Amino acid sequence: MPVLEVRDLSIRFGGLQALEGVNIDVNEWEIVGLIGPNGAGKTTAFNCITGFYKPNTGTVRYRGEDVTRMAPHRKAAMGFGRTFQNVGMVKSATALENLKTAQHAKVSYDVASGLAGSSASWREERELEQKADAILDLLDLSSIRNTRVGGLSYGTLKLLELGCALATDPDILLLDEPSSGMGPEESDELGERLLVLRKEFGLTMLLIEHHVPLVLRVCDHVYVLNFGRLLAEGQPSVIQTHPEVVAAYLGGEAPEALAQTTETASDAALDEATAGALDGADSNGSAAPRRRTTTRKAPAKRSEPSSTAPATRSRAKKTAAAPVDATDPDVSEVSAEPDVAPEPETPRAAPVAAKAPTRRARRKAAESTVSPSAAEGESA
Amino acid sequence: MAVRTAQRKSAQLETAQPDSAQPESAKAADGRHTTAPVHRPTLLGLLLRGAVYAALAYFVLVFLSRNEDIAGRATDAVVFAIIGLSLHILIGYTGQLSLGHQGFQGVGAFTAAYVSFEKGVPFVLAIAIAMLVGALFALLLGFIALRITGLYLALITLVFGITLKDSLFELESITGGGAGAEAVRPEVLQSNVRYYFLCLAILTVVLYIDWRLTRTKAGRALLALRENERVASAFGINVTAFKLFAFVLSGALAGLAGALFVYRFGATSSGDYEFNDALTFVLMVVVGGLGSRVGVVLGSVLFSALGLRYLLDYEPIKEFLSGIFAERSQFIPDAIGAFLLLTTLIFNPGGIAQQLQPITRWLGGKKFTLHGDHDSGPAVVEGSSARA
Repeated sequence: MPVLEVRDLSIRFGGLQALEGVNIDVNEWEIVGLIGPNGAGKTTAFNCITGFYKPNTGTVRYRGEDVTRMAPHRKAAMGFGRTFQNVGMVKSATALENLKTAQHAKVSYDVASGLAGSSASWREERELEQKADAILDLLDLSSIRNTRVGGLSYGTLKLLELGCALATDPDILLLDEPSSGMGPEESDELGERLLVLRKEFGLTMLLIEHHVPLVLRVCDHVYVLNFGRLLAEGQPSVIQTHPEVVAAYLGGEAPEALAQTTETASDAALDEATAGALDGADSNGSAAPRRRTTTRKAPAKRSEPSSTAPATRSRAKKTAAAPVDATDPDVSEVSAEPDVAPEPETPRAAPVAAKAPTRRARRKAAESTVSPSAAEGESA
Repeated sequence: MAVRTAQRKSAQLETAQPDSAQPESAKAADGRHTTAPVHRPTLLGLLLRGAVYAALAYFVLVFLSRNEDIAGRATDAVVFAIIGLSLHILIGYTGQLSLGHQGFQGVGAFTAAYVSFEKGVPFVLAIAIAMLVGALFALLLGFIALRITGLYLALITLVFGITLKDSLFELESITGGGAGAEAVRPEVLQSNVRYYFLCLAILTVVLYIDWRLTRTKAGRALLALRENERVASAFGINVTAFKLFAFVLSGALAGLAGALFVYRFGATSSGDYEFNDALTFVLMVVVGGLGSRVGVVLGSVLFSALGLRYLLDYEPIKEFLSGIFAERSQFIPDAIGAFLLLTTLIFNPGGIAQQLQPITRWLGGKKFTLHGDHDSGPAVVEGSSARA
């Protein structure tokens, strides 16, 4: 049973279909990446999963339980740890206070006995502090223990925010661009850290990330969103060279990018899984409807027992092996390195191309019409 | 399966802690940003601090209880301090601006007067009922605050206070209408001095609760939701419940202050709860210093002296002022209040608390230094009222 199972998730803000029929599975111990161009709906998907938005249709299941309509704080208490794109912390409080605040749901004394100052509350406050110190130590952040968070550098903030998410004692961690504001070295370090954290805390992760080397390094499986729809999914190395993904990032047909990509064995497997969406990519007009069929078909296939389609289920094998091999840095490095080398930043480094203005316009439309509160009110 | 994995994980977290927590605490001692060398006050320093505490205690316990008149005025200051702390929970911790706090105070006052004078309920119970009713009214406003925030909420609280004054507080059957409601203190508290000590004891309890609030999960939850409700919910904080909790706690304390207020004067009427009073309450919290309970108490004391014109009652000052301003001298407290607010907002956002920080820090056992410390101490609210 997957830890997180998102089915047919759709949400509409006014005239903008932010997400449409999105399916995401995250299995135990997996690190799953969610990538896509700006405005593709990644953060919206996060907000739907963690309960900040109520999706129009679709379900979110956590270990088999339907949690689609559950309030965010209850999900947090249940084991959903998350970070935010623009750093979610209490800026006027110190790092230590933030880590104590983040443990809110785990505190067992009630508010009244806290106000009265019962001995249990004193004892537990000390425990909270110890736990916070342990997390600071784990992230090498002990030096900023009593520093107000507002004055820290962005990279440090992102790391401390990860610490806060850990302090909520999560079962599944949803990280929104954890490496933003970090240099290449720091981001490598972060990748290492995520793998270690998975091992130490037995975490399952879903992360939004733009930094391709990091995705290749840590993710077991990648979903690509574009215009609110799933464009493709598969192993990171396969996704990296997937022509439609490359095209989406480049903002058009991008013939030269298509020409550069090479077919691999896993590509063939993916082609099978995505039911021939590839040949639709050369003409943009016909591609769109086919994509839709693709994303709807994919989950049905994946829910079949793995024995029936061994080629397309390479992921299932990986899942089983994940706790052993992916947490071992050496093994995963061997598998990831060769893919990184040739063109590590193809999708990101590509400048704005033919279709980009359209996308920007859509994004702008989204920003101007979308107000979260309005959307919440609508669905309420 | 879910349960098992959860157990496994928490077990890992538990086992991971003790080993790492130990070296951590050692590390913290020589950490760069931590308050590294623990300052040990010298004997002289201890004596000096002791002397300051003794002087303060003498002032509060002996000097202010010298005679009935002074004790009565000191009681007013204490009641103001309770109102200030009540409002501070909303403005300072939760980031909700209330411009109708005189309404809660009035609800408490009239409730206490009604149940004790009309129904013969004993003093202590009457105060408890006043707190309960104050909390209920605040809860009502809390539900509105769940939907509306910022400037609009401030406007609604403003209307709330004014409407209460003009409608509920004018009800003949409960509040005695224009004639006002009476409340008589029990026999043992007839003396102003004794009543002063009672109010002082209650203020101490309120201060204790306020201190515990900031040191436990409820206070942290309020600070988190003040800054960002989404982040608060991601931390597992029930934003709705804690917002309502802040209103209820604040309303109960304001009701308490109202009850103490009516017993202090023996009677009250709707004219005691003008919009001006609500503004004074906000002023004293902001000028006192958002985020600091000592500052709020001092600001409240200052404004109680100004608002009740005790400072201007002093004969030489009175003559001097009326010589210049004649009939207009009644507006002087308002002018001083406005001036203090401006200087606070422009020059020291931390209010009186910020100005006194070197002294309060020294009294807390730290080294005396004029430099503000940014790394520790209570979280100073930066312009939260402006944001609210």
